[in-house]
Amino acid sequence: MNRLRVENLTKFYGDWQALDDVSLEVKASEFMVVMGPSGSGKSTLLLALLGVVKPDSGRIQVDNIQYDHIPVGERNFGYMPQDYGLFPHLNVFENIAFGLRTKGVAPQDIDNRVEQVVTKMGLGGLMHRRPHELSGGQRQRVALSRALIIRPSVLLLDEPLSNVDEMTKAEVRRSLKDIVKQFGVTTVCVLHEPSDAAALGDRIAVMYQGRILQTGRLEDLFENPQDPIVTRLLTSH
Amino acid sequence: MRDRFSLVIFGLAGFLIVFMVTSVFYLYIAAGRTWDLVGQTLLDQRVLGALFISVSSSTLVALLAVAAVIPASYVLATRDFRGKGLIETLLVEFPQTFPPAAVGLVYLLMLGPTSPVNLAYSFIAVIIAKFYVSAPFAMSLVMRRFKEIRASGLDTIARTLGADTRQVLLWVMVPMSKTDLLAGFTLTWARAMGEVAATLIFAGAIPWRTEIFPSLVYLTSISSPQLALAASVIAATLSIAALLAFKWVAGAGR
Repeated sequence: MNRLRVENLTKFYGDWQALDDVSLEVKASEFMVVMGPSGSGKSTLLLALLGVVKPDSGRIQVDNIQYDHIPVGERNFGYMPQDYGLFPHLNVFENIAFGLRTKGVAPQDIDNRVEQVVTKMGLGGLMHRRPHELSGGQRQRVALSRALIIRPSVLLLDEPLSNVDEMTKAEVRRSLKDIVKQFGVTTVCVLHEPSDAAALGDRIAVMYQGRILQTGRLEDLFENPQDPIVTRLLTSH
Repeated sequence: MRDRFSLVIFGLAGFLIVFMVTSVFYLYIAAGRTWDLVGQTLLDQRVLGALFISVSSSTLVALLAVAAVIPASYVLATRDFRGKGLIETLLVEFPQTFPPAAVGLVYLLMLGPTSPVNLAYSFIAVIIAKFYVSAPFAMSLVMRRFKEIRASGLDTIARTLGADTRQVLLWVMVPMSKTDLLAGFTLTWARAMGEVAATLIFAGAIPWRTEIFPSLVYLTSISSPQLALAASVIAATLSIAALLAFKWVAGAGR
């Protein structure tokens, strides 16, 4: 199932309100894009979901289970940061297997599960390479494999296309969406580019100054914007 | 104008290099006249004792320092609390500026003959005095590296993958800090080899028990300057060898 529900989340950093009464519902296996300009609060929202940032108020639920007091390590949320966050001292196999080793999965099972994921991701033959020996696209797939192999209840992606050049962007977008759909995982993806949001999201939540202005399918947002800022953000570059 | 500026820069750099290197070269040049004595000195029982106490205590201090700074650096790199800046200063900068003689005096008063726990003039006193003066070198390097790892967010990523504190420390932070730990070990060892004032005051200079190489040099510099010179050559050679070995290992590890 894995339906994510966020209710009335608020977060202040001193006088600055990063999250202002944010509510969001993501259906099971849905790819939800949270889109907004820098400083709109989308990264804070992601970190709050992850458990790294503690909200001042509000609730986070997955399948009606309260997650507010569950520590980061016990949430079982997959996370891929903007720079992919691969461990530089570990090879591809060790990076992908990290989340299984922490949970004490048997070595034979680790081998099998890594093998399955690596095959799906097209990373065969790279198992012994260190992150600095990989291309940007390969690094992204390793980071995605590492996040997905733990069978997360929710996948959180922070600007997954920011390190991808324009030439290969369309291909990476397609491959990212295919992989996530293949695993059927509920996903929240933070982006700032409207074209990326349109290509990846089943639905899009438009965020501005700590608030979610509107959530919906791209067509709905264009046809029935509830705020002029929504149209402006969707058409900006 | 630009050339004149370059000349000044190169001149100043040259001055510093000559100033720092001269003393080391002079030691070997001065010893050159009595080179046979260096070999003979190594067979002297008192010198052998000082060499043994110096090397064994410095190695133990460096090992203890590395073991101690890992948890301390982890706490200071990952937690924010009131007074953290003061604690960092007291752990890193202050011991490097606090006069070693005063350190020896403090320990003599605190843990000496007038205290319930008398550790003065023992091998443990050598370790304590050297540790206080030398461990900040390891602390400074390892804490800076742990803070860099923290800033990169890799410990948070490890947490999202289910890692507990032990796994974050042993699987991420320590292996990513290998070079810094090795540098910390080497610098602590080299500093401990050179430490004299705190050790002399708190531990004394009892041959084969608390007398270390620098104490031997200090105590024999008037009565037998040739012996002091030979001992200085041996101490300097050991320190240079240790530092060069570290640079070679660290270079190979990169």
